[in-house]
Formats: sequence, structure tokens, C-alpha cells
Amino acid sequence: MKNILLVCAAGMSTSMLVNKMEKAAESKGEEIKIAATSGGEIKKYIGEADVLLLGPQVSYLKDDYTKQYGGSDGIPVEVINSLDYGTMNGEKVLNWALDLIN
Amino acid sequence: MGEKTQNFQAKIQRVAGKIGENKYLKAVSNGLMSTLPVMIIGSLATLFANLNFEGYQNLIESAGIKSILTAMSTMTIDIVALYAVFFIAFKLASNLGEDGSGAAGAGLISLISFMVLMPIINTEDIRAIPFQYLGAQGLFVAIIVGLISARIYMVFINKAWTIKLPDAVPPTVSKTFAGLMPAIVIVIMFAIVGNLFERTEYGSIYAFIYTLIQSPMQKVGGSFGALILVLLVMQILWFFGIHGRLVVNPVFLSVWMPLGVENLNAINAGLEPTNIVHTGFYAVLIGIGGAGATLGLCILMTFFSKSKQFRTLGKLALPGTIFGINEPLIFGTPLILNPIMFIPFVFAPIILASLSYFIISIGVFPILNGTHIAIGTPMIMNALLQGSGAIVILQLINTVISVIIYYPFFKIMDKKAQENEQSSAA
Repeated sequence: MKNILLVCAAGMSTSMLVNKMEKAAESKGEEIKIAATSGGEIKKYIGEADVLLLGPQVSYLKDDYTKQYGGSDGIPVEVINSLDYGTMNGEKVLNWALDLIN
Repeated sequence: MGEKTQNFQAKIQRVAGKIGENKYLKAVSNGLMSTLPVMIIGSLATLFANLNFEGYQNLIESAGIKSILTAMSTMTIDIVALYAVFFIAFKLASNLGEDGSGAAGAGLISLISFMVLMPIINTEDIRAIPFQYLGAQGLFVAIIVGLISARIYMVFINKAWTIKLPDAVPPTVSKTFAGLMPAIVIVIMFAIVGNLFERTEYGSIYAFIYTLIQSPMQKVGGSFGALILVLLVMQILWFFGIHGRLVVNPVFLSVWMPLGVENLNAINAGLEPTNIVHTGFYAVLIGIGGAGATLGLCILMTFFSKSKQFRTLGKLALPGTIFGINEPLIFGTPLILNPIMFIPFVFAPIILASLSYFIISIGVFPILNGTHIAIGTPMIMNALLQGSGAIVILQLINTVISVIIYYPFFKIMDKKAQENEQSSAA
């Protein structure tokens, strides 16, 4: 099973994107778990995540999260493309996230 | 986008990152945000205890409901600093690497420290704790004590200055003892500090901090000038793609939240609220639809777009916008680094704030009751929570103003998008 974690300020707008991504994931026939959280709650979820995606509005947290969770023995930490984020393009973000895991 | 803009954006991002990730500032804003259930219970109880319908007051008083509601507001918002100090220390200890039970220990120590500073009032038959210092007036002391006590606690833990028990003792037991040493030292320290302040003309650290720091800061922070400044900083950060509210949150919460609590306290005491500016004022009358008062823009996109691009985006963004979540609009339009939209995006909130401040200060509309609005509370409902139906009307007026402000800029943008669509279709 693959596990994707999204982070934004309050975990609200990313959860909208998560809904769209989950719909896209259903058609893949693969078990994919997608969760959204706020920066403050990240510790609860990070343990099982295979990739960490940041909302563009908190892109400034990338360096910090890369230091904590990324690196050679960590997981990929990336910022979601802002236009894909704005238009809530779940399928594109999902495919990109799966590429990052592989 | 020029190289200069990009460099500037990178620079702003670094600064915002430093503020946003500062462990102490984060502990203050997350700690204050953790008191949300306390604030909501208290605000709702205040609201329902003070509704002014014909016969309603008599009904709830004779049915005994009033005293239930009063208990609920008194033991929540009237003593909010007591809850805040625990969570601020808890969050700081977590940010500095403590696990859940260790952080809870730091929270408890801060709570004891907060209370040993408290002046006790002795009368002939009652020993009393002054309520005002447990509430809004004690919030700055709560912030200071929460941060200092948790910081010292972490020094003890990191340097392992703790009581060490033999390995055979179960870890749970030794963990309890590990927290004992810092607890004793920190509490003694604050007890001495409290005693020293008792000897001054202020009588307590609470009166000292409130008179010299909190009260002046609230006067400045609650002023019209500060309101405009905070909005300007927030919107310019957003323009560069940074979550502006998150960066100004430490100030936003530590100054504007107590101003709201003071209003609620006044209402509970049967007085008139006096603070125009507080977190509720921003949420209900300025950030309509989210940062930038983008509800107006969203309405224009959804119903008046000639281009397919913006009509689709508007429909997609509208439900979220009603709940105050507008990231789709901000990044989808995009509003970020968009020279056409810079003016309305930055100035719509400032214009709304100015008009609302003015119209409330001359008494045409009532002062909002100060209820802190959680992110994701839908509009109209968030206005009703401010204690008067008139606020809903003002919110709708502001929505119309936001449509008007965005209109000319939206037209330019929409026309461009339409031309692009036609030329690519041809």
C-alpha cells in the first residue's frame, strides 16, 4: 500500500484536493492512502507516509521538512504545483506523487 | 516574471519561513489555537445567555437555564488564560522535542507556576483568586510563563539534571521522577518572582504586565492603524504566495483574541462591548471568502465569466469560498504575482476594514461581540455568532462591495482569457 501525506496551513484546502485524488485513485485499482493535515499535526501521520507534499502556500516550510523527514534515508518532500493545486487537479497530483514514490 | 521578482520572492519566503517555523512563536499561536473549544463553548453560552427577544430572558431565567449558561461562559472564556498557559508550554515542549507525556508534564509545571504568581485576596470569610487575571487580562502572563517554564524544563531534560533511579525501576516510574526535579526548581523560582512583585506598588506580576505591556499593546494593536498594517502585511505575503495569516498569527492571536474576550466579558457583565477590532471582526467582515475578501471575485467568476477557464474555476472554488477557504482561487486564478489583481487583492480587505471600522465606530452597526471564529465556519453563520442580525446585513453589504472592487480588474482578466481561448480554438 502507498501512503501520500499532504500538508497545508490548517489541512483544509489540501483535504479538498485529497477528495479529488482519492477519486482518481479508485480507478487505479491499487491501494493508496491519502491524508491531509496541518503543519502542527504532521508528527502523527509522518511515520507511515511514503511521500510528503506541501501546499504551495506553505512552500517556505520545505527546507525545514526536508531536513527533518527527507534526505537520503527519508521520503521525498515536494511542493505541489500551484496551478494544479488551484484547479484541484487530483489526477495529475496523484500521478506525480506516485512517480515520486517510485 | 522578472529575475528581480523571483529573488525578492525567495527572500520573503525565507523570512516568512523563519517566522513561521520559530518554535516559540509557533508555540504561542498553536497554544492559543488549542483553546478553541474553550472559546467556542464560552462564546455560544454568552450568545444564548444574552439574546434579546421578547420574553426570552424571562423564560431562560425562570427555567434556570440562565445560570447553566452563565456557568459555562464563566468557567471558559472568563478563565481562558488558565487553559492557554498549559497549552503554550505543552506546544513549546513538543516543538523542542518532548514526547506527549513529557510535554504534558511541562504543561502542568507551567500551570502551577502561573498559579503561584497569583495574588490571593483574603477577606473576613472568603479567600479568593481574582478572576480577571485568569482571563483576558492574564493572557500575556500566560504566554510569558508558558514559554519560560517550558524552556527551563527542557534545559533540565536535555542536560539530564533529573532524579535518576536504578535501571530496575519501571520506566514509567522513573519518567515521573525525571519531571520532579525541574518542577520543584521552576515552581520555587516563580514563587520567588511572585513574592518580589507583591512587594512592588503593582502588587502582582499580573497587574505589572497588564499595565505596562498588555494594555498598551492592545491599545496599539486594536487601533485602526494597526488593523490596516496587519492587513497590508498579510495580503502582500499572500501576493508572494505565502500564507500570510500563518505568519502574522502570533500577533493576530495574542493581541486580537484577548480584545474579543474582553468584549464577551463585558457582555456577560451586562456592559457594552468596546473593542471594534478583534479576530471575529476580521473573519466576519474583512476576510469574506478567505484572505483578500475573494468572495466577490468568486461570484464574478461563477456567474459573470465569459471565459470557460474562469467559469470552471469559479464553480470549483465557490463552495470552499463560502467556508472561507480560497486556496483554489488564489492559486488557480492565480492571484499570486498577478499584476492585474494586485490592487483588488491587497486593497479590497483594507477598504472593507476601513468602511466597517468607520460605520461601526459611528454607531450605525453594533460592535461585534468578540466570538473567535474557527477557520471553516461558513459566512452568515459566523456573522450571526457575533450576536446580532445586523452583522449579517453588514457582511452582505461588504460582499457586494467586494464584488464592485474586483469587477473592473476581473473584466480585464476575463477578457484576456476569453481572447486566449478563442485564438487557441481558431
